[in-house]
Amino acid sequence: MAKKTMTIHLKIWRQAGPDASGRLVDYTVEANPHMSFLEMLDVLNEDLIKKGEEPVEFDYDCREGICGSCGVVVDGIAHGPQHRTAVCQLHMRHYRDGDTIVVEPWRAEAFPVIRDLVVDRGAFDRIISAGGYVSVNTGSAQDANNLPVPKPNADQAFDYAACIGCGACVAACPNASASLFTAAKIAHLALLPQGSPERQLRVERMVSQMQVEGFGDCSNHAECEAVCPKGISISAIARMRREYVKACLAGG
Amino acid sequence: MNTETTTKKLDAKIPDGPLREKWEHYKEICKLVSPANKRKHTILVVGTGLAGGSAAASLAELGYNVESFCIQDSPRRAHSIAAQGGINAAKNYPNDGDNVWRLFYDTIKGGDYRSREGNVYRLAQVSNNIIDQCVAQGVPFAREYGGLLANRSFGGAQVSRTFYARGQTGQQLLLGAYQALSRQIEQGQVRMHERREMLDLVVIDGRARGIITRDLVTGRIERHVGDAVLLSTGGYSNVYYLSTNAKNSNVTAAWRCYKRGAYFANPCFTQIHPTCIPVSGDYQSKLTLMSESLRNDGRVWVPKKKGDKRPPNEIPEDERDYYLERRYPSFGNLVPRDVASRNAKQVCDEGRGVGETGQAVYLDFRDAIRRLGRKAIEERYGNLFEMYERITGENPYETPMRIYPAPHYTMGGLWVDYELMSTIPGLYVLGEANFSDHGANRLGASALMQGLADGYFVVPATLGNYIAQGGLDGVGTDHEAFAEAEDKARARLEKLLSINGDKTVVEFHRELGKIMWDYVGMSRNREGLEYAIGAIAKLREEYWQRVKVPGEEAMYNKYLEFAGRVADFLELGQLMAQDALHREESCGGHFREEYQTPDGEALRRDDKFAYVAAWEYTGDPAHPRLHKEELKFENVKLTTRSYK
Amino acid sequence: MNTTKRQSFIKSPVGKKILTGITGLGLVIFVIEHMSGNLILMLEGSDAYNAYAHFLEGLGPILYLLELGLLAFFVFHIVLGINIWLGKRRARTHRYVKYRSAGKPSMQSPSSRSMIITGGILLVFLVIHLVSFKFGPGGPLHADPAYVTTVKGEVMRDLSKLVLEKFHHPAYAFGYPIVMLLLGVHLRHGIWSAFQSLGATNPRLTPGLYALGGLLALLIALGFLVLPLWIYFGGAA
Repeated sequence: MAKKTMTIHLKIWRQAGPDASGRLVDYTVEANPHMSFLEMLDVLNEDLIKKGEEPVEFDYDCREGICGSCGVVVDGIAHGPQHRTAVCQLHMRHYRDGDTIVVEPWRAEAFPVIRDLVVDRGAFDRIISAGGYVSVNTGSAQDANNLPVPKPNADQAFDYAACIGCGACVAACPNASASLFTAAKIAHLALLPQGSPERQLRVERMVSQMQVEGFGDCSNHAECEAVCPKGISISAIARMRREYVKACLAGG
Repeated sequence: MNTETTTKKLDAKIPDGPLREKWEHYKEICKLVSPANKRKHTILVVGTGLAGGSAAASLAELGYNVESFCIQDSPRRAHSIAAQGGINAAKNYPNDGDNVWRLFYDTIKGGDYRSREGNVYRLAQVSNNIIDQCVAQGVPFAREYGGLLANRSFGGAQVSRTFYARGQTGQQLLLGAYQALSRQIEQGQVRMHERREMLDLVVIDGRARGIITRDLVTGRIERHVGDAVLLSTGGYSNVYYLSTNAKNSNVTAAWRCYKRGAYFANPCFTQIHPTCIPVSGDYQSKLTLMSESLRNDGRVWVPKKKGDKRPPNEIPEDERDYYLERRYPSFGNLVPRDVASRNAKQVCDEGRGVGETGQAVYLDFRDAIRRLGRKAIEERYGNLFEMYERITGENPYETPMRIYPAPHYTMGGLWVDYELMSTIPGLYVLGEANFSDHGANRLGASALMQGLADGYFVVPATLGNYIAQGGLDGVGTDHEAFAEAEDKARARLEKLLSINGDKTVVEFHRELGKIMWDYVGMSRNREGLEYAIGAIAKLREEYWQRVKVPGEEAMYNKYLEFAGRVADFLELGQLMAQDALHREESCGGHFREEYQTPDGEALRRDDKFAYVAAWEYTGDPAHPRLHKEELKFENVKLTTRSYK
Repeated sequence: MNTTKRQSFIKSPVGKKILTGITGLGLVIFVIEHMSGNLILMLEGSDAYNAYAHFLEGLGPILYLLELGLLAFFVFHIVLGINIWLGKRRARTHRYVKYRSAGKPSMQSPSSRSMIITGGILLVFLVIHLVSFKFGPGGPLHADPAYVTTVKGEVMRDLSKLVLEKFHHPAYAFGYPIVMLLLGVHLRHGIWSAFQSLGATNPRLTPGLYALGGLLALLIALGFLVLPLWIYFGGAA
């Protein structure tokens, strides 16, 4: 390494509140190649605070790619250019000295901007509330091994259950559709016998809630899968559609 | 430091009777609340991790009105989500001789005999119900080809009792609890308050009756009244600044309860996890854990020579010191967490640490790859190796991993009795936020078990015993205690904003973290602790004069949130040092250099310190009052852990 | 399904896509049939082509029924397509300053992004096409003795003549292939997408279906565009 630090030019979306109009603001920051993208923003914020300016607000928590709090659009791609990586685990070594990076919030009507890069993803919680669960009260469960689940089903259910609810799928979707998020939960529970009794009601209610929240319809661009930090397959969406048809036909 | 010791006895309210019957007996005699009456009661649950989420859902299912609060934008993001390894239960599905007693025994021994027999036994008892409940919710645990649940083994046990969902067990369990919670939200039984931070506890007539929160989006200060408050706000590892905890994990809610009269127990019992990715620079914001399982095949070493800066692969075999294998021939690289961590620190302190900072040791898979082939290693640890490479940019198949210990979990927390009630009636503390079950050291895969045990099974039973006593009528948010607490919370925020000094919150936090890490970290001594107590007090004073907090109160303002939290850490840190200083023995995660065996191992002093140290706030952070709860061991014999 | 359920199905994000997919696949079958007809003119000559057209007309009520069905498919497909496009615009009113695809496994492509544009052009083309040919000289509502011929003793419309005339115009000869290329572009995403919308995919099947969809789209476009070019460059002479 010849130079320990790198100069990064940033164009960051600043927006004071949900109803304020926003704009891209230019910043320059000295970054270290070992930093994560969010640590680079931390450094910028320290600078701004010392200068008496308002720091850039962005959501984050675990910084190891599992809590789903963080998420910004980096140069046009949700979570940035590295596949299967949430932006908290994107490292600056993937950039070159002198690069310019555009940073924007998730953009969707269903995810209103709260401030700067922070958005409100409450719509996701309401979709889960609409039916993304198994109705089993605490204490009423039978012995865990009374309910065998074929290993392939359990493994596939896990693949779908791995969703971290970050919202990148919506952000990247040209239609701002929440289909991958919704379908991942439907597919997870549809693959397990525990989820079976409520499967019809679940798919109907969750799909309907998805619409109520104002997400767009899915046009099968599969962009969601490409930006998903957990690489959840759009086959979840196909499964959701099968579940939906079955529910409609069975419902009479 | 003067710590007064009072004779007031802390009553843990452990039920009478043989160990095996205590919990059953308790459930037979505890008071119940009828369904018609449950509707009339509101329970405030702060935090939505495994403990808080499961408690809120279960209490709502019972018919209580639940108000649930979390600092994240969704209850699904609580830090329980980051737990990797697994969850223990005494199911004995593998038929390898496990049972409730063994799980109990391993946990109490692993905790170095600083926890209560009654609590730990109950934990082991309900562990099986947890697995049943989670499976019924649709948690996709790992399974065998026959369709039944798979188990793996974990540190500190001779049986395979750990249930897991790949490396994301915490996530899957949390989503199970979150979904149960979501169902209750849909039914109107839980009112969810996201992006709210608890700033104070409201105590009326000596009972916990409400909380003050700040809406983190608008900055609005809010009052919430209830019949009981359940605190499930996690641990305080972030006092070290760098830890494996999420950035928003903090002690504030627990600390405000401490300052309202709840005792803080064993604050010095912290767990430093040995296998984390080392610090790479000053900008670093957090540390990432690598599963402990790596030590099954990786060999830990450092160069024999001080300051040897050669690349690892150029250091010949006879110039390497496989120090764990050398010092602990029978356990080798698989010694428990505390031992592994302490030894890593020692070799680095000797100047033999590796990497740019010298604060790391090698975890080398070269021999394992030679022995088993790269493919086998890839199958076992592929995802971990990938994660390591993503963060460090180095390929661990070719060059040894660099690891270093990092603060990970805090066994200490608010003191609670058998019913999980703190010293303030009506204030319950669940999960990592309480001190109860792990003693001085927590075993792997036990944190998830405890959080869910508290939330799904313990508190739903014990809360009724309190509510049924009655006397909870007629308090509203217009009570003067609410006004007082709200004013205090607001004044504090205003004060923080008004200082407008020249040092940022992060700079202070980092400084505090360094003091904590250097003097109240993996190994402690009198001199260092005394220094730390003074240094923290000085830093705290400086904080209130020089801190610079941007923005305003009535807006989304992350740095204002942090400012309040760091202010509390600056008080907690001092208490931790005071507790560590007073505990003149080495046990579990607490290693006092003055108390070690001739060959450098921990020297526990059961005659003097077999008690829980519960600290009471006196109004002066420098002079907390110590209360002791003697630990009675009627069923297990205290032995010395040895891994030689 | 009862009435309310039917309505909610049509309005639901999943139902819409399922119907778009079904109608889309139906229209694909239609264009393949149409393309085969075109190829008859090229491969077997005018008489065979006219006979084929005459046969279709001779179906009478059955043809009307088929045409009605076809019309319904078109209407549904178009209305749903526009509805989805409007929904997409509503779902993101504030657009990104910078936006790009993350690459594989994304199937986002110029094709997938332009469905509404290619679809819109195809709609305009459809109207012109119907006016030019189906309702052109010799067709219904437009009797013209110049476009009548006799094949094997049977009097029928000389559709072949009309086609040959039209495609000697450069505007038709080159406009038609361009639109057919756009049809190919529409189908490049459309065919695969229909299967995904119907839930008839899984991780193993999807790559194959995607490739097959592309191949079929290409063949259909080629199948259509050879005829006008062949005619223009004198292949029919």
